[in-house]
Amino acid sequence: MSAMTLNKYQLIIMADDKQVVLERILQVTRYRGFLINGMNAEVNTGNNVATITMSVSSERPISLLIDQINKLIDIKGVKVDNSDVQIKQHSA
Amino acid sequence: MTKSKTLTGGALLFEVLQEHGVHHVFGYPGGAIMPIYDALYDSDVKHFLCRHEQGAAFSAVGYARAAGTVGVCLATSGPGATNLITGLADALADSIPVVAITGQVPMAAMGSDAFQEIDIFGLSLACTKHSFQVTDINELEKVLHQAFEIALEGRHGPVLVDIPKDIQLAEVTQRLDKLSHLKNKVKLPLADISKALDLLTHAKQPILYVGGGVGMANAVEEVRDFADKTGMPSVSTLKGLGAINPDNENHLGMLGMHGTKTANLAVQESDLLVVVGARFDDRVTGKLDEFAPNAKVIHFDIDTAEINKRRDADAAILGDLKGNLPLLTTELDIADWQQKLQQMNTDFAWRYDHPGDNIFAPAVLKTVSDLMPSNTCVTTDVGQHQMWAAQHMTFDDPSNFLTSGGMGTMGFGLPAAIGAQISRPHDTVIAVSGDGSIMMNVQELATIKRYQIPVKVVLIDNAKLGMVRQWQDLFFEGRLSETDLSDNPDFVMLAKAFDIKSQLITKKSEVKAAVEEMLDHDGPYLLQVKIDAAENVWPLVPPNTANDKMMESV
Repeated sequence: MSAMTLNKYQLIIMADDKQVVLERILQVTRYRGFLINGMNAEVNTGNNVATITMSVSSERPISLLIDQINKLIDIKGVKVDNSDVQIKQHSA
Repeated sequence: MTKSKTLTGGALLFEVLQEHGVHHVFGYPGGAIMPIYDALYDSDVKHFLCRHEQGAAFSAVGYARAAGTVGVCLATSGPGATNLITGLADALADSIPVVAITGQVPMAAMGSDAFQEIDIFGLSLACTKHSFQVTDINELEKVLHQAFEIALEGRHGPVLVDIPKDIQLAEVTQRLDKLSHLKNKVKLPLADISKALDLLTHAKQPILYVGGGVGMANAVEEVRDFADKTGMPSVSTLKGLGAINPDNENHLGMLGMHGTKTANLAVQESDLLVVVGARFDDRVTGKLDEFAPNAKVIHFDIDTAEINKRRDADAAILGDLKGNLPLLTTELDIADWQQKLQQMNTDFAWRYDHPGDNIFAPAVLKTVSDLMPSNTCVTTDVGQHQMWAAQHMTFDDPSNFLTSGGMGTMGFGLPAAIGAQISRPHDTVIAVSGDGSIMMNVQELATIKRYQIPVKVVLIDNAKLGMVRQWQDLFFEGRLSETDLSDNPDFVMLAKAFDIKSQLITKKSEVKAAVEEMLDHDGPYLLQVKIDAAENVWPLVPPNTANDKMMESV
């Protein structure tokens, strides 16, 4: 049995409220090696700004994901709400 | 918005393309893009009919890379659009500015599994820098301008614009006054200049590590000036080849899996890497934990996400390389290091005295390189011939060596050469291919025939998927699984079927005259070069191995 330490983060993402912005964020998050533990999104509200709160976990540093999400054209900004939570998962 | 002139969406597309300086596009028509092709009929934009949408995408990539501009390709919905995807993925991996226009079924039919309907907008998410689907004719012009701006802004990349058929037919009477501009997302640049200068002046064994970003930043002159003034020994990635002046005595060649022995040993011994427009790709670093183990890192890049991605930077300088690199130029006291590496360059120089009468592929490519005119643009496919071209040919600019680096796409070379030749009609263009790769987009010989595009094809033929065969021999106990191509077509006859002059050579004594004949020929030419099927590419750093533990023979 090996122990794998996952760091858990909460991200707050501000984006232009464009179609597929959620899909873009989900695709990048999965591809870059982060598990999505939960998500709350206010999109298509007519306010031109979407706010997305997302809980993710990974062995990888969160800066890798933040940089990649920030590269998306429709993203206005990303910040980490907390960065000190760690969870441990055990795999055989 | 101003101007009153009624245009269909299709006609507006070509007006906007021309406003962005687009004179040539590559594509293939079909049902859902017919209004655009109808508008093309009245347009001054020249369209090149490729024989597969993947060929169109790669021609657009070749066009963009050879000319330093945006390449444009068109395809219909469904299979036409999906056939573009490999080309777009290639452009994303190598940061090439391409705008792809796809037709889509009418909006009322979208989401109904209509004939030739596919969600190309969804499929594009993982293989483009950005994508749009236009559902309002009044948004079309703004989207098209944004597509060009995004393709060229910061780190270049491909952008897809999906246009439903009814939007192509819809009319618009108002045009935008001026181009829209993206919000400026560039953060305050990381610029550890003083720290970088301190690292540089204390380094005893620095190496300049040159990547493909140099050419894309239009910073070849600045990098050469930096290399000359500092005297720093340099190494190049596959895509960085051509950035350093070929006459620079401190250039050590390509590093990485098939890099030169001197380049890899020098990087491993270095105490400082000055990284310009490169990203520590796995084919470059070998075993990452053991790559340049004693080196500090100064990393120049336009893309924040590349800083600290695979190797932490001790000093990061983010932004325009052209402006930033001169800030670091200083004289260095590294004469001993220079002399040591120059001696290694001599000791480990390539040898072409291959025994026997058979043709030695590296020697053929060295001959082509020596005889080709200045400013020749060389494209390659992917495999052994690609690595031999990188090792044994010399390029005087990054835009003169077009190869699929990040994606490693077989089938790239021929259509990329077509695009390069269209963009640079007065330069010689040579596609170096292999007998496996050329069959991946062999239909583009018909494009060459139709437009009499004078591309020269050097076909390195070992009747094998050579690189896979090499790995099967080295790492899979010689179990040669599905790598034999001894039933290839007769390539000379195949070329003749497309009215392309061709010749087969099998002996080393035939090489020079055949290459001269090919280069002297006015039109397209295919030179089939039969080589020993057992020939390997050396050196080779085995997978997950440090670069100083390279294999040099079996």
